Amino acid sequence: MADIDETNRKITLKLVYYGPAMSGKTTNLIRLHDLLAPELKGDILTLETQNDRTLFFDLLPLGFQTPTGWLIKLKLYTVPGQVVHDATRKAVLSRADGMVFVADSQRTQSVNNSESFQNLEENARRVGLDFDSLPLVVQFNKRDLPQILSEEEIEARWAQAPWPLTFASALTGAGVRETFVRLLEQVYPHADRQFSLTEAHGMSQAAFVRAVAGA
Amino acid sequence: MEILPGSFDREFTLSELLGGISQKRLGEALAALLGAGFRLSSSAGEVLAGTTNDLPGGVRVAVRHDLEVLGWLEAVAGEDQVRAAATLLELLLHQGARYHMASALHIEVVRADYEALQDQYAALQASEARYRALSQQLEERVRQQVEVIKSTQLQLYQAEKMASIGQLAAGVAHEINNPIGFIRSNLGTARGYVGRLEQLAPAIRANASLAEDWKRADMDFLIEDFGALLKESIDGTDRVARIVADLKGFSNVDHAEVEVVDLNDSLHSVCNVAHAQVSPKAGVIMDLGELPPLRCHAGRLNQVFLSLLLNAAHAMDTRGEIRIRSRHAGDELRIEFIDTGHGIAQDVLERIFDPFFTTRDVGQGTGLGLTVSRDVVAAHGGRIEVQSAPGKGSAFTIVLPAGGLA
Repeated sequence: MADIDETNRKITLKLVYYGPAMSGKTTNLIRLHDLLAPELKGDILTLETQNDRTLFFDLLPLGFQTPTGWLIKLKLYTVPGQVVHDATRKAVLSRADGMVFVADSQRTQSVNNSESFQNLEENARRVGLDFDSLPLVVQFNKRDLPQILSEEEIEARWAQAPWPLTFASALTGAGVRETFVRLLEQVYPHADRQFSLTEAHGMSQAAFVRAVAGA
Repeated sequence: MEILPGSFDREFTLSELLGGISQKRLGEALAALLGAGFRLSSSAGEVLAGTTNDLPGGVRVAVRHDLEVLGWLEAVAGEDQVRAAATLLELLLHQGARYHMASALHIEVVRADYEALQDQYAALQASEARYRALSQQLEERVRQQVEVIKSTQLQLYQAEKMASIGQLAAGVAHEINNPIGFIRSNLGTARGYVGRLEQLAPAIRANASLAEDWKRADMDFLIEDFGALLKESIDGTDRVARIVADLKGFSNVDHAEVEVVDLNDSLHSVCNVAHAQVSPKAGVIMDLGELPPLRCHAGRLNQVFLSLLLNAAHAMDTRGEIRIRSRHAGDELRIEFIDTGHGIAQDVLERIFDPFFTTRDVGQGTGLGLTVSRDVVAAHGGRIEVQSAPGKGSAFTIVLPAGGLA
């Protein structure tokens, strides 16, 4: 949504974790809450769940002050992965400034991954997002499980895709922060173009990433 | 609680997030915790609970939500106390935010689902309309097919009827033909014999004894009358032979082959066949113009002529007149049957070609004559025109293309 609020000197960025059901989107958010040490960090706001499955969304707010005294807020959302909640997914996705697609590395989940990715592409179009230019990082999660696709296989499959690939094990926290940093690196140029982060606020990309993700 | 308009992910104010709980009870609870000297105000300066007076020596603690300071809690109390109360408020705000976001998102989702349903409903209605139109088309086609089948069935029925009548007539004609032949021949021979007897008369009259007997037996008259009787019989036999020949020609209804005929001959033939039925009711006037030979199903057209002629005779309440007129005009042949009968009322006129429509008593007419006639004429590329004046008579005109059948 990339809101700019001149009165309260505030810029808000919306980042969405998308992906098939049970691929570990909420776990990513929980780990980020533990791993990141930004200047400002809110509690995770979790809406109703049913058997550990997200029904609405989760929200993790992060933020920091720029040297010019502006508040940069990042709101990290997850969507419900189950097919039936498509309307909710669409609503959460609308006005997003960046996305992480959390895929399940297990061999049995390939079809679900590709269906969910197609759903992401369709919904992005429906809510008026330019999918081709939108910041997106693809994370293959659950690297700690057996019966998973090897990194070589995944890289070969995604070789033609323009998006950065990361590997993670959200349960242990491995790769979670790295994925998020890759997303910030994608989001920064867009935000810089929109809000002149470097010129008006003295925030370089490195400073931006450091301020959110910590050193 | 009022559901707030706007997106679920917008920013909320302090009063929005506290909107769901009683401000009076919140104020009472805070007063119990912090004493009467406290104030809860929004970052914009609006006082939500507590006093509006200055609080000299009070402690001021920020109330935060979602990384931001939404308001301030001031109280003349211990700092730990005020901070703990602010934490309680923050927990309340967190719950308020959960409620607001969930309900706003729920409304968005319900609205989206509803719109999707409406779209589906519209699509369904469109497809239902398409199916309804299709079913109407199908029904119409079925109706047309039924019409065709019905009319074909009628024709078959009538043709079958005429064919069996024709076979019977042909059989009878054939049977009569032979005896009529030898009767005619014998009558001719007998007439010769009478002539020879007549030649003997002068010789017998010359003999006095025989002449007396001759006279007594009135043989002069007898021989003269004998010849006249035979001549009448020969004329009668000739007429029977002619009728039999016409009947044979007319009964050739099952000859579906196309023939080239002069329709005037057909009209004569029909008049002969129907003479017995028509003559008691009407005089027939033949007004026949020259017609070109026509390629047609002659047997079937004969049926049409017969139907029209018998109808005309049937229309006579008192003895009347039937005029049969034939003309060749341009590329059309026109055969008219004009009668001086009782005519046809307008409401009846509209239905005369309907199958099974008849004005006659049960068992007297099938109601098929004109139906089949129309179909036969139509099969020749022609039409039947009707004019009628009730009380004065009717005119049926058969119009056929002069080119005939291909």
